[in-house]
Amino acid sequence: MARAVLLAVVLAALLLVPSLVSPYTLLTYTSALCLALMAQGWNLIGGYTGYAAFGNVAFVGIGAYTTGLLMLSRWHVPFVPALFAAALVSALLATVIGIPVLRLKGHYFAIATLGVAEAFREIASAWDDLTNGATGIDLPVRSDSRFFYYVALALVVGGIVITARLERSKLGYGWVAIREDQDAARMLGIDTTVFKVAAFALSAAFAACAGGIIAYQDIHVAPDDFFKIEYTLQMIIACIIGGTGTVWGPPVGAAVYQLLSTYVWSHFLELHPTVLGVLIILFVVFLPRGLMDLFRRMAAVARGGRFGSDVFLANVRASRLE
Amino acid sequence: MSGAEVGQIAMNALLLSGVLAVVALGFALVWGITNIVNLAHGAFIVIGAYVTFGLHDFWSMDPFLSIPISMAALFALGFLIQRALINQIIRAPLLATFLLTFGLESLIVNLLRFFFRADTRSVMTAYSGAALALGPVRVPYIRLGALGVSILLVLLLAAFLTRSRLGRAIRATGMDVDAARLTGVKVATVYAITFGIGAALAGAAGSLLSMIVPFDPNLGGGYTERAFIICVLGGLGNVVNVLAGAAAYSVVEVVVGSRLPAFSQAITFGMLVLLLAVRPQGIAGKAFS
Amino acid sequence: MRTLSALVILLGALPALAADTLVFGAAISITGKTAKEGEYTRDGYQFAIDRINQMGGIRVGGKTYQVALKYYDDETKPERTAQLFEKLINEDKVNLLLGPYGSSPTGTAAPIAERYRIPMVEANGAAESIFSKGYKYSFMIISPARMYLRGIIDAVRAIDPSAKTVAVLGENESFSKEVAVGAAEYARGKGMNVVYDELYPTNAQDVSALLTAIKGKRPDLILGSGHLQDSLLTVKQSRDLGVSPKAMGFSVGPSTPEFRANLGKSADYIFGGTQWTEALEYEGDDPWKTPKAFSEAFRATHPNYDTTPYQVAESAAAVIAYQRAIEKAGSIEPTKVRDALAAVDMMTYFGRIKFDARGVNVYKPMAVEQYQPDGKKYTVWPREVAEKPPVYPMPPWDKR
Repeated sequence: MARAVLLAVVLAALLLVPSLVSPYTLLTYTSALCLALMAQGWNLIGGYTGYAAFGNVAFVGIGAYTTGLLMLSRWHVPFVPALFAAALVSALLATVIGIPVLRLKGHYFAIATLGVAEAFREIASAWDDLTNGATGIDLPVRSDSRFFYYVALALVVGGIVITARLERSKLGYGWVAIREDQDAARMLGIDTTVFKVAAFALSAAFAACAGGIIAYQDIHVAPDDFFKIEYTLQMIIACIIGGTGTVWGPPVGAAVYQLLSTYVWSHFLELHPTVLGVLIILFVVFLPRGLMDLFRRMAAVARGGRFGSDVFLANVRASRLE
Repeated sequence: MSGAEVGQIAMNALLLSGVLAVVALGFALVWGITNIVNLAHGAFIVIGAYVTFGLHDFWSMDPFLSIPISMAALFALGFLIQRALINQIIRAPLLATFLLTFGLESLIVNLLRFFFRADTRSVMTAYSGAALALGPVRVPYIRLGALGVSILLVLLLAAFLTRSRLGRAIRATGMDVDAARLTGVKVATVYAITFGIGAALAGAAGSLLSMIVPFDPNLGGGYTERAFIICVLGGLGNVVNVLAGAAAYSVVEVVVGSRLPAFSQAITFGMLVLLLAVRPQGIAGKAFS
Repeated sequence: MRTLSALVILLGALPALAADTLVFGAAISITGKTAKEGEYTRDGYQFAIDRINQMGGIRVGGKTYQVALKYYDDETKPERTAQLFEKLINEDKVNLLLGPYGSSPTGTAAPIAERYRIPMVEANGAAESIFSKGYKYSFMIISPARMYLRGIIDAVRAIDPSAKTVAVLGENESFSKEVAVGAAEYARGKGMNVVYDELYPTNAQDVSALLTAIKGKRPDLILGSGHLQDSLLTVKQSRDLGVSPKAMGFSVGPSTPEFRANLGKSADYIFGGTQWTEALEYEGDDPWKTPKAFSEAFRATHPNYDTTPYQVAESAAAVIAYQRAIEKAGSIEPTKVRDALAAVDMMTYFGRIKFDARGVNVYKPMAVEQYQPDGKKYTVWPREVAEKPPVYPMPPWDKR
């Protein structure tokens, strides 16, 4: 009950945000929502299924280009249908790519997806006739920053609902089974290929939606601005900060990451990437299971459990080599 | 294509493969023995380049003579980083090691940019630009020297791994950690030493690259990617595998680069993905032996 | 007594309070890939603004405005640039806009200017693609990308009409691509034979493959368009591979002090296109009049600069164009300033400033610099305003 009230309050606050802040501040909130969307997508393949996808930015870029090209095409497709089409195109491409690539494991899978992303970037740079090469494409101008905020918010809320549903579905249990032990999952009769490809395709659809929104908001789509590894890293970091394989981890992580990034950016201008590098290292070493895990432990404390710095040390001890 | 051009392309590939072999060997060693894909490998290369540049700039030290210093400095740094950081998460899931080494890369590159600015640097010597002429084919002395250093380092590493006690302990750890531990090997120390050797090789590669290309703190990233592709091509099996991978990769890069330069990266990455799709387990086995 | 002194201070402060301040807003790359160029840009803007204030400000009708610059760091990230322009307009309520550094950030800033109908004069984004979209509020004060290598072609053809073949290699990135395409088109138009014309991926560490192919074609002229690092790499590897054309030139690189620092004697004979040099003999109608006077005044206030980079000069010129337009418009109303900008036609220390229908200053030629064997860099083109004639041909690498 308390939980439902909390949710309602948070949602109401989020709906009211545009009337309270300036259009610029709203833009940064929309960026955070888009990051949340990407992170929610990554969470399905990287969190639940346990496949370290390092190339999801490919789908951000494909989503951006598909949305843009459809809007600019002679049919002048409106934004929302174009966005859904982009999600569909990305999911289909992810299926085609996923079938061979998801046979790989560990490092090999990670780098293969990285290679896929790089290949797409190079194709976007070199395929002049379709993408206008390195020059990029320009979308129609829309100056209504509330519009982008609400579209992104609706998709993130939708993402939370979908993730929560999936978590308790056959698909979700299958993913976790694959993460824990793929061979055992196969013996339980799970068609691992279908399950993994489904996770990959869904994650691509989420990334494509984020890419489409950013494209329309930024107006300009060029290969180096969209197919950049930073997006991949940000979505993974957001998941790690929040907690991988959880419903609330990605959106919480994205919000925290955006806050930290903005704070660091305004206080340590020159050293901004350095400070972020240190933050990543600290999170990976001390809180590898993310904030959601920390919240759970704190909730346990409230119910009379014990809590101290040994929580962090336990995390360290679990993975170090003596 | 004229005969002279074919000859020059073949020579370019040979010279490139020497440097790339050193780049990839350190990366392969760390990956094969400790199962860490070190995304900060490129950052170590950049540090090596700055060491050579600094020694040349301040004390006019010949860049080839600075290679051992660069290697020693990077060995110490690699050893410390493994001990202080990577060792903390070595048993965590793959993603953690990936992110940690990536965070390190970002940290090192930005610190370098902070201290050295984004200015482009080159190491210029009296013999820079001079070349041996083999008929119409040109062989720059510096690149020839770099090839010589590469061959020397490869031979030294191979001898170290097969002949010395420590080298054998490293290989044993790579093959079976638990068995190695039972025979009294201090695994944590072996891992730190392995990481140090990998970093030292990256330092040597950086010193060589500083003589060959103008560089800034962003030099390294492309070489981490190349090292990975070479390892996938050749496999992690042993020194010879890595050499074969470096040679194959160099031929592809040089030939594609001379015919379809705009698509060279797309083709290289496409090749990587295709290769992985055909051989999901990678080309060769895991352990370094 | 205390009250009296307080009153004096208050009175002293009054004129400053009474004068209105006109604020220019910009997002500039203070960190990231183009941090250095971003610094030049900021210093150029600020230098011109300080000079205008020193001379009493901008007079609009009966009123005098002091001028100020409000800027943020865009980290060389184009999407950040766009967001910061929104912030400058919405939160800081700046009056007018100055451009960021680089073509991509300029490309994302231009639609924002358009959206809010506030003019933006940009001095550091030479890609013309931005100006082919019918924007009315963006103005490019510099010569566009496709003109970057024209001067070198002209200079070579003027000395040696028999130079017939040219090879072009460029980085696959929006600005450099336009430079390369423009150079190849211009050479063809002059009756030259373009024997090689290829793009290579960004951040290339090796162009020896392209140079090996170029060597076989034996071109008279090799033109490169990329960034500083690319030009260094091309010269270094040309020397390694013994690729010796009669002349070699670059769009970006030779004009920076790092070029010679990195290449030493190998920099000799190399041509570089540049927007501006302090050696040009322009006579302008602006606070400094000549390039030399501009450069001396700048270095007097900025002792940390050894030379005056062209980015400083072009950025300052953007402010000067605004000064003229605002005075002509007699208003600081953005749309009126926009119309006055479209009509500006003035000669300055930076060269002629006049915008075509798209808002591009195609009326100012590109200058050409060359490192000559005495180890110095000279402005060698356009002939009428040059310091020295070009040295041509470049001797083969092994005969130096």
